[in-house]
Order: sequence, then C-alpha cells, then structure tokens
Amino acid sequence: MNKLSLAYELHKRKLLTLLLTGVFIWSLFAVQWSTGLIHGSGLATAGQIFGAMFQPDVSADILIIALESSWITLAYAAAGMSLAIILAFFLGIWASGVLASGAKSRYFMKGTFRSVLGFMRAIHELVWAWLFVASFGLSPYAAVFALAIPYGGILGRIFADMLNDVPKEPIQALESAGASRIQCLIYGYLPNVRANILSYVMYRFECAVRSSAIMSFVGLGGLGYQIQLSLDDLQYNEVWTFLFFLIGVVVLIDLWSSQLRRRLAL
Amino acid sequence: MSNPEILDINQISKHFERKVALSSLSFSVKKGERVALIGPSGAGKTTLLNILASVIEPDEGQVFLDGEPMQEYADRKKFAKKIGIIRQQFDLVGQLPVIHNVLAGKLADWGFAKSILSLLIPQEKEAAIRSLERVGLPDKVYERTANLSGGEQQRVALARLLVQSPQIVLADEPVASLDPARAEDVLFMLTKLAAEENQTLIASLHSIDYARKYFDRLIALKDGVLFFDLEADKVTDEQLKELYQLKELVR
Repeated sequence: MNKLSLAYELHKRKLLTLLLTGVFIWSLFAVQWSTGLIHGSGLATAGQIFGAMFQPDVSADILIIALESSWITLAYAAAGMSLAIILAFFLGIWASGVLASGAKSRYFMKGTFRSVLGFMRAIHELVWAWLFVASFGLSPYAAVFALAIPYGGILGRIFADMLNDVPKEPIQALESAGASRIQCLIYGYLPNVRANILSYVMYRFECAVRSSAIMSFVGLGGLGYQIQLSLDDLQYNEVWTFLFFLIGVVVLIDLWSSQLRRRLAL
Repeated sequence: MSNPEILDINQISKHFERKVALSSLSFSVKKGERVALIGPSGAGKTTLLNILASVIEPDEGQVFLDGEPMQEYADRKKFAKKIGIIRQQFDLVGQLPVIHNVLAGKLADWGFAKSILSLLIPQEKEAAIRSLERVGLPDKVYERTANLSGGEQQRVALARLLVQSPQIVLADEPVASLDPARAEDVLFMLTKLAAEENQTLIASLHSIDYARKYFDRLIALKDGVLFFDLEADKVTDEQLKELYQLKELVR
C-alpha cells in the first residue's frame, strides 16, 4: 500500500502526460480528413498568396503609400507607447507598494493599483479601439489611447513585479544610511530595474507596432488599413509589400533595442 | 576609564517561532571600543546586530543608545547619524556608479530634490572623492559598481560609511565572502578608519584569528547566551575550544 502510493507519487506526472497524449490522439478521430478540412479552392488561393510573397509590388506609388502608412503606424505606436510608459511608471510604482511606509498602507496600495492595472489590460487594444472610435470617431487620438491603456496596464504590472523582485540587501543598506522611501526608490529600486524595464519596453514597442497595424483595420489608417484594402482587391503582391514594410519596422526596432541594451549593460 | 558608555544592552531576549535566538543578554560598550562578536553559527550574533541596527525589536529588554532608549530613534535619519551598518558585499547598488553608492551616505542629510539632482550632477563630490581616496580607490569614482571586485566593493561600502559618519559602526560578517588576503585588507581598513574617526565598532566574525588581531574585546555568544566577554589578549585557547565544540562531542 505504502509502496504503491510512493510509486504513484513518483510517476503521477508521467501518467498525466500519457493521459493527455491519449486525449489528443483520440481528438484526431473527430476530424473529417476527407472533406471539409480545406475548402475547394482554398489551396489554390493559398498558393497565389504565398506565390505573391516572392513578387511584391514595388511600383513607385505603392512604395510611397507603404512608406506613408508605415510612418502612420509607427507614429501611433510611438505616441501610444509614450503615454503607456508614463502611465506604467506611476501606476507601477504605486502598485509595487515600495513607497508605502506601513504594512497596512502597502497592502491597500498594492490592492488598489494592481486592480486598476488589471482593468486596463483586461480589455484588448482592439476593443478599446472600437470603443474610442465609437466615441471620438476616426481620429488619431482613438488609436493612441487604445494602445496606451492596455499597454500601460501590461507595462505597469511587469514594472511593479520587477520592483518587488529587487534584492533586499542594497535597499536595507540604503535605509540604514538614513534614506527615505522615495530616496530608496531613486537610489535603489530604479537603478536596479532600469536595464530590464528598458528591454521589456522595447519588446513591447515592437508589439505596439504590430497592434497599431492591426488596429488600423478598424479604419484608422496605417499599414493594416492598406493591407485590408489590397486584400479586398485580391492584390496579394501589394499585400506583401506592406507586410515587408511591417517586418522591416519591427526588425529595425529590434536592432535599436539590442543596441540600447548593449550600451546599458556596460 | 573615563570613556562614557555609548551602548547599553539590558536583558534582551528574542525568540523566533519556538527557537530562542537570544536570552536575557546584557553588556555595555564604551565609546571608541572595538568589539568582536564571535561564536558558532546560530549563536545569535546576527540577531543581536539586527536588534542594534533596529531592523528587528527584542521581545524583552531594552537597548540604550547614548543614554536614550532605542525607541527614541524612530526617525531613520536621526538614527543614521548614530549607527551605520556594513554587511557583506551585496550591500551596494551594482548598477550605479561608485560615486553614487558613496554619496548614499549623505541621503540622511539630503532632501528629495537634492538627491535626485545628485544623480545627474554629483553633489558634495569632494566628500565622496576624499573618502574614496582614504579607502584606496581614488581612480574608481565613476566606475560601475558591479564591475568592481568583492574586496573593492567592501571598500566602497567603507567609503559610504565615512560619508555617513555615524558614531557606531556595526559590521555583520564584513569579510565573509572574501579570500584571506582581501579579508585582512578590509578588516585592517575597517578598524583603522574606525580608530581615526573615533567611532565605536562592533563586528561579528567567523574567524577567531582576525577577531584577536584587530579587536580589543571579544564577546562570545553560544546558544543565545553570553559565553564570555573578555579583552582580546585574555582569551585562552581552551575557552575558544569549548565555545566552538559541537554538542554531540561533549556527551
């Protein structure tokens, strides 16, 4: 009996793996492989789309449109991120509770501001975009706010977690040197998380560019809007031009981010 | 001796869960004394230092600092003028340049505006550079602290203490993570600077040799009680042997 339960304790993870694999294999039988998996002309269309990948439209007017809409997409992303960083900086510091003096006020601050951040990021940027387009109309503010709110929520949450994970010893040393809470923040906590938060912000900036492109499907202009127009016209070559511009922007941001990180690591 | 008592520890006890860390411990320290706390691991040295640093409070008993009960020093900035602490080398903010870690010793005197301005343009730079010269690191002022070796980082912590300039210095295993040569170097500097600044020094140490060599008075703790309290040159090898003996071997 004892031996049996010991064996169970040892192997229960493997049993679970086995069970889940079984469920997956069983689920494959539910798929109708012969018909309905891909609709009749689907393969042909997919062929056209991916064929167009090697022949993007590089005519001058398409390139100009692509450049302009990349600029719009980038501008929305940059403005949204700037606002998100400001929101996340303050909300994140409050949500981490490092400024609270007593255990009670820390608990209260953490609870309150973490819920605010949770609310901000629980709603997807596309949904925010719909809401703002409905209220502001198709103005750039709609795009910027729609990005800033959920991204502020995500960044703020990560920022708060990073602040909470700062090693205690240097902070204690600052406290014993007579530093106040806010002095501990600027001399201890912030220098400690600076490099990590920067690299995370850069990663989120990439995500913001992609989101900003997607959001423009709502009608806000930018790369996503152009992709949608070209898709409606079945101009796959143009679609790929815009996609390559999107990839280019993301790659450029990635290069910038790794350069920044290298400089900070010195 | 005419030296006044700066620290008076009166019957303090501390429990953690059911474990006794300190039980009715009493002693007093005179101004300018150099005291080493020794004893096996778990004897209560760190608990005692944490009580003196007012990181934790004793369950019973009281500590008098310069004639006043410890509770009178609830203001952290006022306390920092009395007592400064140096621990192992993880004490510094590695991402900041050395000068800001040294100037952190000034935070008790500085307001918010001045401390934030100092991160851009170091304030009272001369004080920091002077203390870095005294600990032998005049060429590392703007170096990133994390890039320094363990021994150098402990010297930076010493420079910060010089800038903070408290009356009492508590050192919790200040050389625990250093090799013997670096350890001697840091201990020599710690005791020398304390003497020059006319500070009282209380350090917990693992090494008896260092304790005898650099300190005037040894206080030995074992299982939370005072085992002996003697001048450094009066401690015998038998006493030390008994202090570090394992319980199982006695039986």
